[in-house]
Amino acid sequence: MSRRCLLLCALFPAGLQAQATGIVYGAVRDTTGHGVRAASVSITGSRLRTNTGSTGAYRLEAVPAGPITLQAAALGFQPESSAVNVTPNDSTRVDFTLRAVQNLAPIVVTAGKRQQSLQDVVTSVALMTDSAIARRAVNSIDEAVDRAPGVQFLNGQANIRGSTGYVQGLGSRVLLLVDGVPANQGDRGGINWDLLPADAVERVEVVKGAGSALYGSAALGGVVNLITRDVPDDAHARVRVIGGGFAGPPHDVWKFRDYTGIEGGVDVTASWGRDPFRGAVAAGTRHSDGYRQQDQRDHWQVAGKGQYRLDPVTRLDVSGAWASDQYEVPLSWCLRGRCDDRGQAYQPFMVDTSGLGDHTRSDKGYLTAVVSRDPSPTVSWLARASWLRTDFTDFQRAGNDFGKANRFGGELRGVIRSDPRQVVTVGGEVAFSDVTSDIFGVHTQAEYAAYGEGEHRLGAARLTTGARIDFLAVDGGGLTAVVSPRLGAVLAAGRGVWRASLGRGFRAPSLAERFVSTFVSGIRVIPDPSLRPEEAWTAEVGHARGFADDRVRVDAALFWTEARRLIEPVFIDTLAQIQFQNLARARLAGLDLSLSAASLMPRLSATFAYTFLYARELAHDTTPTRPLPFRPRHLLTLDADYALGAASVGAAFRYSSRFERVELYETDPRVAAKVVDLHAGWTRGPLAAHLLVSNALNYIYTLVPRTLAPVRKVTVAVTWTY
Amino acid sequence: MRLCVAALAALVVACNGGLGPAPAPTSCPKNFTGICGTVKIRGAIPDSTDVVYLVAYHTFPQSRGDLFNFVPFPPPTVSLVDTTYFYTLPLPNGRYEWVLAVWKKQGPMLTIGNADSLLREAGYYKRSDADTSRFGAGIVVVNSIGTDSIDFVVDFTNMHPVSFYFPAVTVRR
Repeated sequence: MSRRCLLLCALFPAGLQAQATGIVYGAVRDTTGHGVRAASVSITGSRLRTNTGSTGAYRLEAVPAGPITLQAAALGFQPESSAVNVTPNDSTRVDFTLRAVQNLAPIVVTAGKRQQSLQDVVTSVALMTDSAIARRAVNSIDEAVDRAPGVQFLNGQANIRGSTGYVQGLGSRVLLLVDGVPANQGDRGGINWDLLPADAVERVEVVKGAGSALYGSAALGGVVNLITRDVPDDAHARVRVIGGGFAGPPHDVWKFRDYTGIEGGVDVTASWGRDPFRGAVAAGTRHSDGYRQQDQRDHWQVAGKGQYRLDPVTRLDVSGAWASDQYEVPLSWCLRGRCDDRGQAYQPFMVDTSGLGDHTRSDKGYLTAVVSRDPSPTVSWLARASWLRTDFTDFQRAGNDFGKANRFGGELRGVIRSDPRQVVTVGGEVAFSDVTSDIFGVHTQAEYAAYGEGEHRLGAARLTTGARIDFLAVDGGGLTAVVSPRLGAVLAAGRGVWRASLGRGFRAPSLAERFVSTFVSGIRVIPDPSLRPEEAWTAEVGHARGFADDRVRVDAALFWTEARRLIEPVFIDTLAQIQFQNLARARLAGLDLSLSAASLMPRLSATFAYTFLYARELAHDTTPTRPLPFRPRHLLTLDADYALGAASVGAAFRYSSRFERVELYETDPRVAAKVVDLHAGWTRGPLAAHLLVSNALNYIYTLVPRTLAPVRKVTVAVTWTY
Repeated sequence: MRLCVAALAALVVACNGGLGPAPAPTSCPKNFTGICGTVKIRGAIPDSTDVVYLVAYHTFPQSRGDLFNFVPFPPPTVSLVDTTYFYTLPLPNGRYEWVLAVWKKQGPMLTIGNADSLLREAGYYKRSDADTSRFGAGIVVVNSIGTDSIDFVVDFTNMHPVSFYFPAVTVRR
C-alpha cells in the first residue's frame, strides 16, 4: 500500500469501509427454466439495478458488502426477493425463478417498438398465439391471420378495419414485419404471406389503425408483425407433416374433375442452443391440387436463424428465408360460352379457356442482421440491416411478364428509460428499393426517416407523444417529406383500462403503381410518375375490462379514419386507358368489439369478435357518397374450444356481410361469407395431431369478383417435437 | 349438450344461401339495370377471332378518339358456341344511340394506333342489312330496369373496320 493510501486510510477509516464492494450475478428464469429477458434486478433501498439479457443472465457490480435484499421483477411475472450477504471483493451467485402471473395482460412488442404490457398500449392490438395457430392446422400465415378480429383477407390482401380493399396486389395499406423488420415487396408494395413457413411463427401481433408515427409508409391501416420462434437451449428437432383433401363442388353441374384434390406437405426444423451461440434451420415443401380448375401449386422453402452473444449485454441475431413457388393462375371463373358451361351463366370452378395454361413462378427471400445491446439499465439500442428480394415471372399466352425487385433497409433505434415514469424511443431508418421489370420498368425509390416517441406516466395515466418524418425520393429525384405524428393516452380505472389515440398514417405509392405499363382486358394501363403519398388520420377510443376474476375480458374500440388522396385505378374514358391516380377522400369509421372467456365453464373457452364498418367515399371532401368497394359492413368471428385432458375440440364461425359495392363486375352475383371451421387436437408426449375441417359446410361464396373462395378442406397435421 | 346442438343447428341454417347454379338467362334478371336480348350469329367464325365484345355508346362516336367512350367496362363478351346467344349488358341509366358487337382479332395488345387492324364492327341494334352504314334507329333508353328484346345480328361476313366510320366522318342519320 502506498504512503498516500496509508495516510488516507488513517484519516478516513469509515469512508474506506463504505467502499468495500462485491459482485452479484446470476440468472432469472421462468418455471420452465427459460431465461427471462429484460427482467429488472435491483437492491432494495439502493439505486443499484440492472436488466437481464436475452438468456436471463444479469450482473451487478460495486454492490456494497454486507447483507442486502435483492429483487427480480419482470412484466408478466410475480416479483421475487432474496436476502444475500455480499462478501467484499468476491462474487455471489443469486438465481431467481419467477412465476407467471395468471390473467395478466400479455406482453407485446409491435405497438411501441419495445416491450409493453398490452394494457399499456394506446391502440388496439389483436394477438394470435402459436397454440391458436397450431390448433387450426393451417398451412400458411395468411390462413392464420385471417381469423384475427377485425382482419379480413381478400385474395391475399390484408384488410385491417377495411383499410386496403382489393387492388389486385398492387399496394398494401398494411405493413408486414418479420421480427420487427419491414417485409413489404420493393416493387408492388404487397405482401408475400408464404415468405415464412407457418410453423416458424410463434406469435402474430396485429396493430390496428395508423402506425406511421413509428413505422412510416404502408402502416396506414395497421401493422402485422410475425414473431418467429426463439431458439431454445440444447438440441431440438421438429417435424410437421400435413395432409388433406378438398371437397368437390356441391352441385353436379359444377363438377370439373373426376378425382379428389389433395394437399400435403412436410416441414422439418432442427435447432441447437448453448450460450454464446444458438441456431435453427428449417426446410419444407408442400403441394396442392387446389380446389378449382388450374389451381395447382408447389412450394419449397428454407429458413434459418442464428443468435450469437457477443458479451453479456450484446447480442447478434441473423435470420433469413427463401421460398419458391410455382402455381397455376385461376384468374377468374368462366362465364357462359367461355368454357364447357353446361348451360350455366357462370362456372365458378372452371376458368376461361383463354387463360388455360397460364402459370407463375415466384421466388422470394429475406436476410436480416440485428445487433441489440443493453449497456445499462436505462439505455438499450439496436441496429439492423435487411434485404428482401422478390422475383416473379408470369407465363401467359399473350406474352410473359417478369419483375425482379430488392428492398434494402437499415435502422438504428434506442430506448431510454431515464426515469421509472418515462420511456423514450428514438431512431432513424433508411430503405432503398429497386425494380427491373417489363411492366414496371427500371426504377428506384429511397426512403429516409427519423422518429421519436415518449411515454410519460402521470398518476394512473400514461401519455404518449411521438412523430416521424419520412423523406421519399424516386429515381434520385427531389425529396418529398411526410410528417406522421401520434398522440395517445392510457388510463387505468379500477379493473378496466381506457385508451385513446390520434395518429396520422401514410403510404407512399409503390413503384408498380407509379410506373406500371401493361394491358388488362385489352385496355392499356399507363404510368403516373407524379403520384403522391396517400394519407389518413385515425382516431380511436377504446376500453378493456375484466369480469369474473378476469376470466372474461371485454375490449371495445370506436375508430374513425379520414383518408385523402387514396390511390385507385381510374378508367380514363377519353383515352380508353387505366391509370393509378390520387383520387378518393374516404371515411372509415366503426366499432371493434371482442370478448374472450377463459375457463368460464369447466374446460370451455370462447372468443367473440365483431367489427362494424362504415366505409364511404367523400364527395366535395365532406359529403359521404357511395360505399368504398370491397368493405363489409359487418365482420364477426366466433370461436369455442373444449379441452378434455390431452384432447380438445372446437369450432369457429366467420361472417362477413355482402359487400355493398365491388368494382368492375357490379352485377355479378355475390353473397355474404358464412364459414364454419371445425377442429380437434390430441397431444401425447412428443406427438401432437390436429384435425381441421375448414369451411365445413362447403359454403360457396366469393369475396373477389369471379374468384371462388376456398371450399371445404379436411386437413390433418401431425407434429413430432424432440 | 342441448345448447350445443341448438347452436350447431342454427349455424347450419344460417350458412344456407351461398352461390348456387344459375342457368343461362332467357330474359333480363330481376333487379338488373341495362339491356338484354338475343344475338344471332351469321357466317363462319373467322379463325383469327380473339373475342366479340358487346358495348354501348351514349352518343354515336364522332371521331376515333370517341371510340373508347363506351360502357360498360370491362365489356362482356359473346359466346360463339351456338348460333344464338342471349346476352345481358349492364348499363347505367341513360339514352344510348349505339349498341353493338365488336369483333377483335387475335394479335398484339390493343391500342388506338392498331385499332383499325384489330377491331371490326360486327353488328348493331337495328342495323339495316341493306345499308350497313346507316345507324341511329336503334336508340335504347335504360331507366333502372332491364330492357328486354334488344336483339341483333352478328354477321361475320359483313364486318366494318374503324376506317369504315373514321376518317369517313360524314354522319348520316
